[in-house]
Amino acid sequence: MEPLWAGLVLLVILFILLCSGLWVAFSLLGVGVAGLALFTQAPVGQAMATTIWGSSNSWALAALPMFIWMGEILFRTRLSEDMFRGLSPWLTRLPGRLLHVNILGCAIFAAVSGSSAATAATIGRMTIPELHKRGYHPLMSIGTLAGSGTLGLLIPPSIILIVYGVATDQSIARLFIAGVFPGLMLVVLFMGYVILWSLLHPEGVPGEKEKPSWRERLVALKFLAPVTLLIMAIIGSIYAGLASPTEAAALGVVFSLILSWLSGSLNRESFLAALMGAVRTSAMIAFILAGAAFLTVAMGFTGIPRELAAWIGGMHLSPYALIAALTVFFIVMGMFLDGISVVVLTTSVIIPMVEQAGLDLIWFGIYIVLVVEMAQITPPVGFNLFVLQGLTGRDILTIARAALPFFLLLCIGVVLIVLFPEIATWLPSRMGAH
Amino acid sequence: AATWDMPTPYGDKTFHTVNIRQFAKDVEQATGGKLKINVHSAGSLIKHPEIKNAVRRGLVPIGEVLMSRLSNEDPVFAVDSIPFLATNYDEARKLWEASRPVIEKKLKQQGLMLLFAVPWPPQGIYAKKEIRSLDDMKGLKMRAYNAATETLAKLAGAVPTQVEVPDIPTAFSTGRVDAMITSPSTGANSKAWDFVKYFHHTQAWLPKNMVIVNAKAFAKLPADVQKAVKDAAKKAEVRGWEMSKKETADKIAILKKNGMVIVTPTPELMAGLKKIGEQMTADWAKKAGADGEAILKAYRGQ
Amino acid sequence: MLRKGLDWLYAASGAASAVFLILICGIVSIQIGLRALDNLIYLISGTRYGLMIPSAAEISGFFLAAASFLALAYTLRHGGHIRVNLIIRNLKGPARRMTEIFSLAVAFLLTAFFAWNVLWMVVDSWQFHEVSYGIVPVPLWIPQSSMLIGLVILAIALLDDLIVVMRGGDPSYRRHEEAEAAQASEEALAEEIEREV
Ligand code: NA
Ligand code: NA
Repeated sequence: MEPLWAGLVLLVILFILLCSGLWVAFSLLGVGVAGLALFTQAPVGQAMATTIWGSSNSWALAALPMFIWMGEILFRTRLSEDMFRGLSPWLTRLPGRLLHVNILGCAIFAAVSGSSAATAATIGRMTIPELHKRGYHPLMSIGTLAGSGTLGLLIPPSIILIVYGVATDQSIARLFIAGVFPGLMLVVLFMGYVILWSLLHPEGVPGEKEKPSWRERLVALKFLAPVTLLIMAIIGSIYAGLASPTEAAALGVVFSLILSWLSGSLNRESFLAALMGAVRTSAMIAFILAGAAFLTVAMGFTGIPRELAAWIGGMHLSPYALIAALTVFFIVMGMFLDGISVVVLTTSVIIPMVEQAGLDLIWFGIYIVLVVEMAQITPPVGFNLFVLQGLTGRDILTIARAALPFFLLLCIGVVLIVLFPEIATWLPSRMGAH
Repeated sequence: AATWDMPTPYGDKTFHTVNIRQFAKDVEQATGGKLKINVHSAGSLIKHPEIKNAVRRGLVPIGEVLMSRLSNEDPVFAVDSIPFLATNYDEARKLWEASRPVIEKKLKQQGLMLLFAVPWPPQGIYAKKEIRSLDDMKGLKMRAYNAATETLAKLAGAVPTQVEVPDIPTAFSTGRVDAMITSPSTGANSKAWDFVKYFHHTQAWLPKNMVIVNAKAFAKLPADVQKAVKDAAKKAEVRGWEMSKKETADKIAILKKNGMVIVTPTPELMAGLKKIGEQMTADWAKKAGADGEAILKAYRGQ
Repeated sequence: MLRKGLDWLYAASGAASAVFLILICGIVSIQIGLRALDNLIYLISGTRYGLMIPSAAEISGFFLAAASFLALAYTLRHGGHIRVNLIIRNLKGPARRMTEIFSLAVAFLLTAFFAWNVLWMVVDSWQFHEVSYGIVPVPLWIPQSSMLIGLVILAIALLDDLIVVMRGGDPSYRRHEEAEAAQASEEALAEEIEREV
């Protein structure tokens, strides 16, 4: 099989470049160049300029730096400290305590942000330092964040569901609705795991103040007011018809600045520090996205992903076997390409197989999101891992290790929606016609 | 044997894509595999805004693009998007015959060659409430995505509103937009009944997708292959127009089946809209200069 | 003198990028504000004016490209671009220097190649009067130039560091990377993992 060999050659090149310490974005660009030059007749330089320009001037991506900036501003206020102070008396009985803030914070923020990188970056900027300070196990605080950041894709709005809906002519509204229950299912799975882990590793979760009284709990609530107001204002602006989800990100920055000003932490220095922090993080992610976009196009020209998918189609598998084979395929491809690219490159080949197997396309969209979420946290190319490396300075493999349990939980999520497809299809089926 | 990568903007279920895949198959068969065209649908290889330039610069030899996307470059490309100039398939065909030489000339200046063009079904107004006359459009927030749709909305007394395609369902359900103008195809494919109730079959215009090739890449093909491509293109154009006609009826039926109200526009509304159309035709002719005059003359002379 | 000029260039490009982030936030916020104002006027007077910034989304997209590319060199100097440093961190002396030179050389060549091709894209867009599709026809060579400028500055920054390392010095980003690594205290974490498993 020729595409398989081509793929292996490119993998080896990718590994050499990454291991030599070449920056991730350059490694992706380098593999793209190699792929086009070795296996296609396409003009390499032109492909690079045209496709990277096309993917970099995107309105949909404009939300990303805004959310990152918002996280940087909030990080410099007392907001995250207050948030934890407000929540901790409520979570003393729950094993894992404040680790759940990562999961729930991401789940709530996912209702605003359509991308998992933005979700992980914004929430992580606030929670990671705070959890670290309080002595939570670093691997767990990183892992929960890497895992729950992926909720950004499943809980509507979602960039990947839009891409899938447009490519397959499915209703985006229905896909969004279909993501709600699976999103909650993941929240339950993640929280369940944190509870279990904490019972087994009590030393990983620092003790909070013993048994707070109801009075103390109620008093603590006032610390939650700012963050609640902030989230409600952003979500409210969308539902009031004032802002699109992408636009709401910019409102997030404005509200955060106001909050920071009200709390007295806004000054020239903190403003500039937040802004330049956002500049660096967004440039880092944007450059990797550019590299990934170029690699995607190179893969499109080589035809490797398409032919591998077609090879699966040629096996004429039963529905369950097909899903199993596709899951392995997506996990493997998702290690090296960004998940959305895999979907874009292979829908033309995969959707006919899926239809022939009699699978519902709305359901399949949710399945796709789950496997794309896995791709976000598998090394070497996983955007949540990059975001967390940027946030914590820890090595990507360490972070991937922290995220591994959540990768497995996503696998369980896939099994669950395969066994109980209604988790995804029940809500949209209730939508019906007007 | 040569292999051509062909980026197209729309999904596999869109009839344009189905037609193009058939075209690719025809070419491969007619040339005995000497030319194979790999269709990359839904912007999976090159995204819509970059397709024309990618073909012009030779990054890919062939591609599909919505003709009126180029209207900011040259008003001539907007000829099939002038409201109420050509409002059914026969008129659209006449207009296409009248404009084709000019379009081909303009593309040639960029080193591009036109293979074939296929119209979308006629554009209608999707709205949350029924529109019976221009008065009902007053203050309606109507989606505008380019200069022409902005002018149209303004002239109709509506408020032009910018909404990006993926954001349309959310924009309707949160009230940022009340109406949009597009084809029954796009409406049915995006399940418009999820967020809007009325479809007014105004048949405002029939915009076309065109398939273009890089002239240099085409010249490199052997003569028999060139002929096979041209023949297949001719067949694809005829087939595409038929598919489009059928699509109109089919997709309106789907809209209806899913509970949308299909409104035959009142004479009052049509009179108002046609008047706007006349003004926009005159404006366009002024902008498009001699080429525009020639097209209109040829169109009306037939 | 040259050193000062170069450092100024990197800082200036970072500042320009920041300005574009502010512009995105500004343009979108004004758009939302205008929409809110429009609704308010409608509630009071019953007429809608459709206040909006034409092509706001398209222009924000262009600003995003400018913000991303102009920040590349600045981000490099601050150790902001990430890499897998598990292996190189454990290299010492000449071995470390050789891998660093390899990375910088490859990155420089890729950037130079990239910038060269973007240059031709900009020239081509200019020659063919390419414009954007939305309500306001923006000549594409203008936003595309921001990408070109960013890449040229990145190429300069990479060459700068390459020369420094070849002369036996430390690259600009080393300090930041090490500061972060120290903060993360990888060894301590490794021990924790050992305990865990
Ligand atoms: Na989301
Ligand atoms: Na991955």
